[in-house]
Amino acid sequence: MSSLSTITLIDRLRTIVGREGILTSPSELLVYECDGFTIEKNKPDVVVFPTSTEQVVQIVKVCNEWDVPFLPRGAGTSLAGGCLPVGGGVMITLSRMKRILEVDYRNRYAVVEPGVINLWLTNHLKPQGWHFAPDPSSQGACTIGGNVATNSGGPHTLKYGVTVNHVLGLEFVLPDGRVACTGGPTEDNPGYDLTGVIVGSEGTFGIATKVWVRITRNPEAYRTLLGVFETVDDATNTISDIIGAGIVPAALEMLDQLILQAVEAAFHFGFPLDAGAVLIMEVDGLEAGLDSEAERIIAIAKKNHAREVRRAANEAERLLLWKSRKQAFGAVGRLAPSYCTQDGVVPRTCLPHILRQIQRIGEKYNIRICNVFHAGDGNIHPILLFDERDPEQVKRVLDASREILDECIRVGGSVTGEHGIGVEKIDFMPKLFSPEDLAMMMRLRAAFNPEGRCSPRKMLPTAGACIEPSKAGRRAAL
Amino acid sequence: MDDINACRIDDFGPLSLVRPQSVPQIGDIVRRAAAEGQAIYPVGGRTLLHIGLPPARPGVAVDLRGLVQVLDYPARDMTVTVQAGITVAQLQALLATENQRLPIDVPNAEQATLGGVLATNVSGPRRFGFGTLRDYVIGIRIINDQGQEVKAGGRVVKNVAGYDLCKLHIGALGTLGIISQVTLKLRPLPECTSLVTFGCETAALDHLLDQLHATRTRPVCLDLLNRAVASELRMDLPETPWVIVVGFEDNNAAVSWQVRQLFQELAHEDIQGLEARAGSASEPLWRSLVEHTASGRRLTFKANLLPHAVSSFCRQAEELSASMRLHAHAGSGIVYGHLDSDLTLPRVAAMLKELTEAAVRAEGNLLLPRCPVEWKRELPLWGHERGDLWLMRQVKDKLDPQNLFNPGRFLVGT
Repeated sequence: MSSLSTITLIDRLRTIVGREGILTSPSELLVYECDGFTIEKNKPDVVVFPTSTEQVVQIVKVCNEWDVPFLPRGAGTSLAGGCLPVGGGVMITLSRMKRILEVDYRNRYAVVEPGVINLWLTNHLKPQGWHFAPDPSSQGACTIGGNVATNSGGPHTLKYGVTVNHVLGLEFVLPDGRVACTGGPTEDNPGYDLTGVIVGSEGTFGIATKVWVRITRNPEAYRTLLGVFETVDDATNTISDIIGAGIVPAALEMLDQLILQAVEAAFHFGFPLDAGAVLIMEVDGLEAGLDSEAERIIAIAKKNHAREVRRAANEAERLLLWKSRKQAFGAVGRLAPSYCTQDGVVPRTCLPHILRQIQRIGEKYNIRICNVFHAGDGNIHPILLFDERDPEQVKRVLDASREILDECIRVGGSVTGEHGIGVEKIDFMPKLFSPEDLAMMMRLRAAFNPEGRCSPRKMLPTAGACIEPSKAGRRAAL
Repeated sequence: MDDINACRIDDFGPLSLVRPQSVPQIGDIVRRAAAEGQAIYPVGGRTLLHIGLPPARPGVAVDLRGLVQVLDYPARDMTVTVQAGITVAQLQALLATENQRLPIDVPNAEQATLGGVLATNVSGPRRFGFGTLRDYVIGIRIINDQGQEVKAGGRVVKNVAGYDLCKLHIGALGTLGIISQVTLKLRPLPECTSLVTFGCETAALDHLLDQLHATRTRPVCLDLLNRAVASELRMDLPETPWVIVVGFEDNNAAVSWQVRQLFQELAHEDIQGLEARAGSASEPLWRSLVEHTASGRRLTFKANLLPHAVSSFCRQAEELSASMRLHAHAGSGIVYGHLDSDLTLPRVAAMLKELTEAAVRAEGNLLLPRCPVEWKRELPLWGHERGDLWLMRQVKDKLDPQNLFNPGRFLVGT
């Protein structure tokens, strides 16, 4: 954009959102140059903070008038560059649309604005004994609008399902400024399940301005177990045996030795530092029958040579255990100056294989890799440790990441379970999908976003434009 | 009786019927039909072929029951990949060998194909505890308007790569392509199952449903039957104006605790004939509840409401016609009503108008999955028009621009 047109555009946007609702100076925009995926950076031309659906509509219409790209952003916790303003343009940050508009316990739903933080909603419902089931590890920061965009998961999605299973309807601003309401508080509305296909579309279909979510009753009781294993293989075999036995735990998470050291230093839970791996195994539900379910899990762990299986003695201990797990990424800073995490998925029976491959790949590229992940879903999160000031290390990290994800595809899995494709994994889409599959997805996008002005160059590779990882403007392609 | 090489949909036809045995054959059929300007009407076990409006154009009916392969059943991953022509009974029998199931209730499962069940988004009493098909389909293959087989999703239980086209095809009545292959997430068969039944008077109904909403137990089924349905099932249910059925499925300890707990919670309520059926003794009633939603002969409506409105809606429906048979999945706000008596079209239209208004007030809608063919164009089969219809039309226009698939039958592509 020329500076003249930028100034005029900014003036127009300022009249919509007011002086307090806009950022334009380079130093202020710096914060918005990337999200949790820090390898690629690009500043937006302007950031706006609408406070109503009407403001979002006006902003989008102005962007159309000026022919500039725009994209929505929640809290910016995406780990795949979902909020990266490729090509600049207007960033529409929804963090000031943060009201819980309605909670209806009798009919089991709530209506929230997209900027409501995931954990706020659960905390709001807590006194009545309810919660919002998707619980990504970033739930203290991430927004429900962002959860909708990426179809977020979390540890407890093993039993309760991911975001799409808990979203009933949306108020949605299309990229041309029209507003649609899809679904709603009732189930089985006639016609296509537009809500279901908009969830997980990573901001490429438009901007959600209101979300009808299902709320879930809290379990009456929990049994939270910590299984300690000498080897990663013993831990992964345990996971596979638990699922194979027809037990549906609420959560089944694995931490390997390297991440345990960082987590223990940060949270002092009392993890055994010499263990090869630990499993956090949780069953929940009614008090009745829960002990026998926990006993079955303990027996399976013992059969797989668990050194010991500890039980969380009380709620405080359970919460500390979950804090250690959910904030594990924060503890990684103790291990290396930079890290990047992957989000591959494999059939659960392939976990022992993929973890051996991750170890092999780490050795091959001389990169330290630690693992903390949603084992019960087969959703791995290898964390590759490096120093981003060393370009040679960065290249090795990228190569190792690519090899891990290629192996996930080879065994019948996926390259992302919950973080999304974003810009990070666009190059993998042709490996997962045929040109015909991708063409069909392009046609679907054209139904919502025909001009491609909303969240351009996300999720789907642009036809005919094979992007080289080394190219300027695209500094990495994990 | 249908001709072996022809098929009627409503009063339309005969349509020539083809029986492809492979995906490439379906591709050829689609391309040929597209080139000749013919429409395509996918059919499975034809158990729900009465849903929707009559076809709009001549075309070919594609019988998908030749596609029955089980492509992959890694039981220890709790997923299965099958071709869409397999019957639900065949699929469930296979899963049962590994002590697993797809927890979706399907009437006429011996005939109904998985693809047909997806296209019509079938559900039943267990949806209160286990959700609906959108919670279980993790991968799908579709023959598109160009005769290409395209996929979305995958074979792993958690996957956000690409757009989730699985969701779009569930309940789309085959208007966006032919479903050829499906990957499902599965659940273990429950160790124990139990049904608690009791009757009540109309005055107590509202209060009882509110009470059950707040129960300490976690029912997987919360159904409501009116007297006509309860007596028709011949299951020795109480002869009261309303009968409530509460279902539990879990391990033995959890189920028996819940039955005891519910009995305690109901001890001082104004109810009659409180009874529990456990294990195999509960099976006939479970089966009746599943089959009954498909039991309409002349006219069936399906209302979707906020759950709190189920009781008042059912009372209103019963006042409109004494012969109305009512069966609600009350926990989920779904009400089926069957009208088999000889009513005139104006009378039926007036009744449905009133009930649709009540459904819309309860944030929902009212559809007619079954009605006499000659009434189909006179009654709002697909309910009250909602604000997102234009967006659905845009999706249909992009994915099936020639309107090849099931033209005229759904609420878009007419």
